[in-house]
Amino acid sequence: MPALPVYKGDAPPLHTIRKPANDRRHMWSLRWYVALLLVFSIATYFISFHHGSSTFHRMNDEVTTSRKDIKNMIQLLPSNFLPETGKHRHNGRLVVVGDVHGMKHSLVSLLSKMDFNRKHDHLILAGDMISKGPDSKGVVDLIMKIGATAVRGNHEDQVLIEYARMTDANVTITEDGEDVTTDEEPLLSAGNHKDRKLVKALGHKRLRWLKSCPIILKVGELEGMGNVIVVHAGLVPGVRLEKQDPETVMNIRTISKDGKPRDDHDGRPWTKAWHEYQKSLQMKDRTMVIYGHDARLGLQEEKYSIGIDTRCQKGGKLTAVVIEGGFSVHKYHIVHVGCKA
Amino acid sequence: FADKELGYQDRRDTLINLIQTYLATFADIGVETWLMHGTLLGWWWNKRIMPWDSDLDVQVSEQSMHFLASYYNMSVFHYKTPRIREGRDYMLEINPHYTNREQTDKLNVIDARWVDTSSGLFIDITTVRYNDTHPAGKGMLSCKDGHEFRDTYLFPLRDTMFEGTPAKIPFAYREILESEYKKKALTLTEYENHHFDDAKMDWIPKKQDQETL
Repeated sequence: MPALPVYKGDAPPLHTIRKPANDRRHMWSLRWYVALLLVFSIATYFISFHHGSSTFHRMNDEVTTSRKDIKNMIQLLPSNFLPETGKHRHNGRLVVVGDVHGMKHSLVSLLSKMDFNRKHDHLILAGDMISKGPDSKGVVDLIMKIGATAVRGNHEDQVLIEYARMTDANVTITEDGEDVTTDEEPLLSAGNHKDRKLVKALGHKRLRWLKSCPIILKVGELEGMGNVIVVHAGLVPGVRLEKQDPETVMNIRTISKDGKPRDDHDGRPWTKAWHEYQKSLQMKDRTMVIYGHDARLGLQEEKYSIGIDTRCQKGGKLTAVVIEGGFSVHKYHIVHVGCKA
Repeated sequence: FADKELGYQDRRDTLINLIQTYLATFADIGVETWLMHGTLLGWWWNKRIMPWDSDLDVQVSEQSMHFLASYYNMSVFHYKTPRIREGRDYMLEINPHYTNREQTDKLNVIDARWVDTSSGLFIDITTVRYNDTHPAGKGMLSCKDGHEFRDTYLFPLRDTMFEGTPAKIPFAYREILESEYKKKALTLTEYENHHFDDAKMDWIPKKQDQETL
């Protein structure tokens, strides 16, 4: 890529513009260079991210095929759950909640704070409903009962991998789950004790439900918010949804200087590159991502992304994005409750 | 076991058969094993053995090793497959080493080998052991070469493929590879007189004359 002349000051570079006839011509060439610079920098990001997404794990396509266990990558939310707009609209809302991590009481309190009514409101969980907190089983029971939709978070993924491992080794797991205090089923290899305890506690029926959750949930086009997508951690800009690497979508927090997605804070927040990319698209093609996973950053409200992991499990808050339809457009507001650690 | 050294391609084929029969056998026996070190790095690049590798690194847990020692020591497995047309014997050899080690209470350092009895090439099966007295607390595992990591980096193991056979790898495979080989090893496409070709997804030797390798 040739070095791009950066337009500074009044005089345009001689070799590109012959003679500015008047001031107007000046402004035109300035805009042209700024636009070119912007396009090239976005193109660089586009190219490096496409390459970056393939070096996160050496072969991007191969990872999605080697995660053959993931059957449900993308799911479209049934349109009857979408809030309506217009004069005679239904008063149904869409509620998206971040990392619950087994904090069932906080979830109940959050839903009651907004007068959640399962008759016309629909709940979406942005992953990490289980693990770490006191009542993972209760959370899953609750969300199954109210017919919620959820995306798979990295903790669900970890537990599901352990679940597959335990079933391969013929470890006893019941349908409804049971709380075991001792590890009476020694595998031929040791394991992550917390995950194994959780697998046994959840039981086949809850694990089946969790396994059926997609990695990416397409909520749909909401007038005023754009195309809305819910994932657990984030998306790589410029890569089609079907080509997104599931591990990245469940774990990304930042993107390193050389374009590689990272799950730590050692790079630039992925949302920055996401916004730059959205701005390069036409309005109708822009996407708003609602995600969790990054408790350190907490609530992050931006034009095309909303981060709602507010560290409930460690005594922070549990946050919801409540989307409702207005007369002509959809809008959202944030509701949260404090969580007792 | 063998009376002459193998050529480049022959050795590569023999090693491929070695790991395939090993993984198939252990899946049959029901002993969980996973790729580590150099073999894991080969998996990272193209799910194959790196051509210049002369040995393979796999691990099992301590309980698995005791199980193998109790029931499978000196077992011979005969494989005759389309890739191993003439049929070949592979032996599982468990070496119990009884040594007093100051660092731990355990007395055994057990290694095992999956040996190709025709060529003499073998896979070194090492044990990963829990270190109960580690300063970092519970859940620390250590390898024979001194490498240490948390068991949450290893478990739950991930299912994948290696040399066309189902295999398992550590959960946090990237962290384990990075800490052992540094980040460069995961992206540098020139190594050991080979170049990694992205289109072919394979390490291509730089010298045309392969017999000299």
